[in-house]
Amino acid sequence: MKPATLEFLKQRFTDYYKTSYISVPSSLEQREWGFIFFDTSSDVRMRRHMAFSDPRELADYLKNMVPAHVYYSTAYYSTPSAPTMNDKVWTGADLIFDLDADHIMRGPYTEMLARVKEETEKLIAMLTDELGFSPRDLAVVFSGGRGYHIHIQSLAVRGWGSQERREIIDYVCGTGIDPAVMLTQSDAAPAGWRQRYLDALREHLLWLKSLPEEEGIHTLTGIKGVGKRGAADAAAFLAEIDDLARDLEEYRTRTLLGSRMVKAIVTEEGSAFEQRLREKGAHADEPVTTDIKRLIRMPGSLHGGSGMRVVPLSAGELAGFEPLEDAVVFGDRSVKVDMKMAITTAMNGNTYQLQKGTNTVPEALAVFVCCRGMAEIAGEKADGS
Amino acid sequence: MVIAFDYKDLAKYPFLKESEQLVRKHFDSLDRFLSGPRGDEALQRAKERILDAIDPKWEFREEDAHRLPPEIEIASYALARILVSCAGDRLLPERLTRYEAIAVSHFLESEEAEKKRYVAQFVGLDLAKSSLPVPEYIELITQLRDARWRLINRDIQSGLVRLEAAEYDELLRERIRVVLLRNLPLRVPSTLCERFAPIIDEIGAAYQQQMLEQFGAVEEEAFPPCIGGLIGAVTAGTNLTHMGRFAITAFLHTIGMNTFQIGEVFARAPDFDPEKTMYQVEHISGSSGTAYTPPSCATMRTFGLCLNRDAICEQVNHPLSYYRRKKKKIGKPKQA
Ligand code: SF4
Repeated sequence: MKPATLEFLKQRFTDYYKTSYISVPSSLEQREWGFIFFDTSSDVRMRRHMAFSDPRELADYLKNMVPAHVYYSTAYYSTPSAPTMNDKVWTGADLIFDLDADHIMRGPYTEMLARVKEETEKLIAMLTDELGFSPRDLAVVFSGGRGYHIHIQSLAVRGWGSQERREIIDYVCGTGIDPAVMLTQSDAAPAGWRQRYLDALREHLLWLKSLPEEEGIHTLTGIKGVGKRGAADAAAFLAEIDDLARDLEEYRTRTLLGSRMVKAIVTEEGSAFEQRLREKGAHADEPVTTDIKRLIRMPGSLHGGSGMRVVPLSAGELAGFEPLEDAVVFGDRSVKVDMKMAITTAMNGNTYQLQKGTNTVPEALAVFVCCRGMAEIAGEKADGS
Repeated sequence: MVIAFDYKDLAKYPFLKESEQLVRKHFDSLDRFLSGPRGDEALQRAKERILDAIDPKWEFREEDAHRLPPEIEIASYALARILVSCAGDRLLPERLTRYEAIAVSHFLESEEAEKKRYVAQFVGLDLAKSSLPVPEYIELITQLRDARWRLINRDIQSGLVRLEAAEYDELLRERIRVVLLRNLPLRVPSTLCERFAPIIDEIGAAYQQQMLEQFGAVEEEAFPPCIGGLIGAVTAGTNLTHMGRFAITAFLHTIGMNTFQIGEVFARAPDFDPEKTMYQVEHISGSSGTAYTPPSCATMRTFGLCLNRDAICEQVNHPLSYYRRKKKKIGKPKQA
């Protein structure tokens, strides 16, 4: 990053931290803080093991130091500023979920943002409708980058270790499903994953049936447990799929458990069925949830890799949230930037086609492209005076 | 309603506060008790408890709990807890509490419903409910390795996990185990531990012998394909899933490798992070309190970790049984 660009970003960020009110996380004095700065001259990438006992102290620090990235611990510590993890004395941690579009798909930024928002909605529904968390206990946060975080501060989960948290994250992601349990006939109507599982299986069987017969047989004999010699069985199986699908619809699973084909389909690793099932889960990042000593981006701060605001939302606000408008904090004053590449991007309801080389763009977009390392501030003085 | 436990009942459930009160009523101080006429009897019974706990062939016998007067039996329960705390081996408290929990669950099988309910309540479980809130359920089952206990394999609706009546006995046993393990090892004054030194040495020797008899020296050639494959993956630098790391660590620990040796296995990875690895290894192998049993073949399969099955696999349903069998096999020609 050129000095002029660095200066421009620091000024914009300073302006934000000087003029905005940012609410601090609960139990401030028990949190550890970490910061990454624009100047890469220092050899420590992140300054961490810091603690603040007073919201004003933190606000002053942000105004004066103008960090590019601001993080605090999801954990609560007796001595958050102690230099080693052991000395900090862990006393609990918020339950965190991280949804990052990078782990879900590749594509244009706007599409990634839309996809990860859907995924977040799916996760919220699972947490509230199935696992019983109250929507009021969920703090949803736009990360300022390519995803969302969910913070749950409820006391019921605060003392949990990684093991307990893993039960939850495995549940939302659909990890560790036991086909035998899923297909066991039960008097109770299926709920949660059993329901999803039976639905996925039905969809999968109907899909097999919808293929030209030869292709259907080919798909089945390609499964390890069936093999080439199973062609006749595969054909017979395809013929009875309608019955099986009806059984599934009415949650009669007794017949299915005995079927060699069904068994082969559901136990094959990396299969199309497994893929279908995974789609029904929410693609949250496992390590973030199970790590009980993690740092997370501070809601209300700016993301140094995009210049956008890390926006706290309630579960209900998510639906109407448009990151490329609602997380944009800078203005529309014209700024000249020197693009390293051509890009097309949306912001504040407009679409911009930027060419390689010099472009005049609104300040907010200039911050965005500079933060992402796609451009430098061009020619003139950086402060625009 | 007041539930009347007689003295004989209390010997079966020595952890209840009523049992503790009974012992206090009889013996005012531990010191005087130990030097008194019955002290040695109680101590011998405590030793027996621990030896039973580490004996894989131990079988529950109702009469064992009633050979001695109830107050001595209960005192021996408490002394056994002190002894394993002095011994300093992290697996001993684990074994002892598992044993106590199994014994209690046997007693409960034929117990009057009211008393059973009372014992359950004492450890914080309400047997009358047909479901548990998700957080309570999770706290109850984290140490149970079977795939069917995983939250994802349960019927859940509006935050409640449905339970079958038949599952309560298992959950109750697990709950008792966890509660009994909770404050072990106890902080025992060193003078007291010194006084028990001979008995503790005896236990230590028996324990070591058990371990050697069961698994003998570590023989990598006898590892089942799944474990061999996982170690191969580590060596190649593959990032293992949590379950994968768990399976290796718990397996290696159970066959007698110490934390340091297990750490060495992980150190074969190119991106080895000593601090993080040791933390995980220690956690799984139990220096933080609990040691985990390695997953069964069924669980390994569920997590996609059962790889390259071979002929021996057909005869076993646990990687540990595989190891024991194969070891015997390759052991024979060497001796010949
Ligand atoms: S069958 Fe069992 S022992 Fe054999 S590879 Fe699979 S998990 Fe391992």
